[in-house]
Amino acid sequence: MDTVTLTIDGRRITVEKGKTVLQAALEHSISIPYYCYHPGIGVDGSCRVCIVKIEKMPKLQIACSTVCADGQIVSTQTPDVVEARAGIFEFLLINHPLDCPVCDKGGECPLQDYSYTFGPDQSRMEFARRTFDGEGVRADVDFGPTLMLNRNRCILCTRCIRFMRDIDGDAQINIIDRGYGSEIATFQEEGVHSLISGNLMDVCPVGAITTRDYRFKSRPWDNPEAVDTICTLCSKGCNTTAWLRAKPEWAKGASLIRFTPRFNPDVNGYWMCDIGRFEYHWVESEDRLRRPLVRDERGVQQPASWNDVVSRLGDRLVQAREGLRFLLSAHASNEEFFLFSRLAEKLAVAESARGPREDSESSSAAARASGGGAPRAVNNARGPREEPAPPTQQLRWGGEPGPPTRQPRWGGDVPLISVGWRYRPKSQPEPATFRVPPVDAPNVNGARSFGFVGGTLADQVAQADLSAIRAAVEAGQVSALFVFDPGPEGSIGDTEWILRARARGVLPLLIVQGVLLTDLARAADFVLPGASWVEKEASYMNDQGRLQGVSRAIPLPGEAIEDWEILVKVSVALGVPLDYTNAAHIRADIATRFDDRKGFEGLATLEFGRPVAAQNWLQASNPSERWKWDFMFQDLPPVKGAVDPLAVPMPAGVIPLREVK
Amino acid sequence: MTFHPKMAYDATFHKSARTLEDEGPPFVYTPENRARFEEIVKRYPPDRRRSAVLPALYLAQDQAGYITANAIRYVAGLLSITPADVEDVVSFYTMFHTKPVGTFVVQVCRTLSCALNGAERVTESLTAKLGIKPGETDRSGTFTLVEVECLGACDRAPVVMVNDAWHERLTPEDAPRLVDDLRARGEAAVSGCHHVIEQRKP
Ligand code: SF4
Ligand code: SF4
Ligand code: FES
Ligand code: FES
Repeated sequence: MDTVTLTIDGRRITVEKGKTVLQAALEHSISIPYYCYHPGIGVDGSCRVCIVKIEKMPKLQIACSTVCADGQIVSTQTPDVVEARAGIFEFLLINHPLDCPVCDKGGECPLQDYSYTFGPDQSRMEFARRTFDGEGVRADVDFGPTLMLNRNRCILCTRCIRFMRDIDGDAQINIIDRGYGSEIATFQEEGVHSLISGNLMDVCPVGAITTRDYRFKSRPWDNPEAVDTICTLCSKGCNTTAWLRAKPEWAKGASLIRFTPRFNPDVNGYWMCDIGRFEYHWVESEDRLRRPLVRDERGVQQPASWNDVVSRLGDRLVQAREGLRFLLSAHASNEEFFLFSRLAEKLAVAESARGPREDSESSSAAARASGGGAPRAVNNARGPREEPAPPTQQLRWGGEPGPPTRQPRWGGDVPLISVGWRYRPKSQPEPATFRVPPVDAPNVNGARSFGFVGGTLADQVAQADLSAIRAAVEAGQVSALFVFDPGPEGSIGDTEWILRARARGVLPLLIVQGVLLTDLARAADFVLPGASWVEKEASYMNDQGRLQGVSRAIPLPGEAIEDWEILVKVSVALGVPLDYTNAAHIRADIATRFDDRKGFEGLATLEFGRPVAAQNWLQASNPSERWKWDFMFQDLPPVKGAVDPLAVPMPAGVIPLREVK
Repeated sequence: MTFHPKMAYDATFHKSARTLEDEGPPFVYTPENRARFEEIVKRYPPDRRRSAVLPALYLAQDQAGYITANAIRYVAGLLSITPADVEDVVSFYTMFHTKPVGTFVVQVCRTLSCALNGAERVTESLTAKLGIKPGETDRSGTFTLVEVECLGACDRAPVVMVNDAWHERLTPEDAPRLVDDLRARGEAAVSGCHHVIEQRKP
């Protein structure tokens, strides 16, 4: 790596060649404010607040566009820089309303933070500020279906314009008019229509662009909690942060208030899509399953206790066991896939011990051809699939003694476990650099690792192929169907055929383990309420084959329990007990059994986030904005039980806080 | 795409008071203009087609008299850029009109040199003579009066530009005479008269 060495504020700093002075400073926690520069959308050089003095250069320079050179001597604190910078801030605030307490960005606003730190302490603006439709809220206008724009607050940094041009690929935002009259607008007030529009709220350094979903719902200074997690609504697996409203547990209303992207250069960069950002309301909605349900003799679903449900389920399943099939959503985590495979395996073993019937010639020949007699658990995924399946694609049945050469007669060729997901290509502009994949489930690659779906981790995922199970159900060969769907409604793909089979009476027993009272759950005999992705710690494998974990952000609703617990209960009721005591235990077991399997490295040591006070989160996370957060909350009344920020030793290079009167 | 019934998605809160671009009739170049456009666009590298936006807009304005939303969409389509990009340009330059204008667009410079030399008085006298305020068009559709920024002839301030021709050192007293001249001689008076005025003045 080519490096250059320069001096900033007396500190010798070595950085990669080609970095700008601003980047060098930020990497070494030297405070230089910036607005128009954003690490994800590049340099523009229009706001001028990153101004610094560079020796041998006649005038002050902007740090964001000046490339580091050997021997450069940069100062950010000399009186001329301080004065020039304060002057720029004064200009930025000429038309900007000074009503931070009623602004939605207040408390997490770079303009607020930087102005406190670097700006003048008084405004000399004696004239009327430029306002749009009038004072206050009427400058707020629609900015497309997901956003609002407050034109009074805009500082014309053009980040939103460049985001739309470079990341979204469809330049829908522009500046109309010129000079003093300039304003951010869309053509004919059509608003921003984009699948990634929510990011505009994040890139806007002031409260000009806000999301309709979040605006005026919470305040950063209420001390909400934040949890680092990942999004599971598609196969990309964006790294995100879930924000929880500051409220006592008994208070009404949802606790999840927003999702924001978390920087991960290998997965999502700085961004996330609107589906991941806004589609979380179902988690705490009325439709959530809160209690186990059993259909009684009159055909009505009645709530029951877990013990009751599980023992009755056991009775029914033991009878129907031979024709039991599993249909899992690719929203299942690795842990859940693993438990299902263990369960199926144990059932298969028990089944063959009970009295294996001879296989027909053709099926055992097929079993030998596919490389061994392991139960057929690979569902015939359409798309790239090699025959015979490569070794990583086969389900390895642990170390259990089993029938090594025999395919148990579980209804012939129908796989024990099928995996479904919705395939929905998203329409995005051609040049978009942040693309949302068509697979609406996080863990198709996990299903591949366990051998439920064909193809290697690197292959493109196509439509789910459920034709085998569907044909079997429609032909009445399946006596019990166990559906597991921990995702939002519809994400498992089409389930109409199950409902139709139920209506025709060819599917005697339907068990649904999931999170929402969907039509499928309404049709089930047993409904087992499980956890959504924000209520458990679990691991998923995204479309790059990358193992990532979701963190527990909120408690489970009602009597719902985590899915691994449900499966352990069910296995006990079936007489094939799985002896796991927690999710970490399961992960450790996967790691030992699959130590040779690609993608599971590090599973046993996967770390999960915990809800932390936003204040601490801001300091620990988000390295790109790190130093900014270092002095956030400084001027707010101390939070009960919080550390006195002034008592914490300040990292080198951080500007001491000014007292705010 | 809808996310959840609880989310205020697609709800309309406020529209701004801004006047939108006039939609206008459907717009396409005439065959001659289309040919000229193809000629112009060849001057730019294929990946820089968007640079032809100014000449393309001038063609559109010449053809339709002013720039309509439909013309913006048409030009954007030709150059493979978004209407927002084109509107950005249209709204930046005073030379593009987004409302119908008169036969003669009288543009009074109001930037520093002209302002110091009494441009405001020129505007006032034109306002009085034509009976319209800056930004307006008279009822007969002959004159449009606008105030613009520096016209690049500061050494002969105050400057007034009628359509594409300068009229320099135009004093408030000369302004009504220019209007009469334009009324009497039409297009012929648009250019050239400034020399006369200039020579007359020391
Ligand atoms: S709306 Fe926000 S991001 Fe866009 S130019 Fe204004 S301040 Fe910048
Ligand atoms: S792209 Fe996929 S993983 Fe990322 S936020 Fe959107 S739905 Fe979630
Ligand atoms: S950040 Fe450098 S000019 Fe805006
Ligand atoms: S100031 Fe009027 S022409 Fe330049």
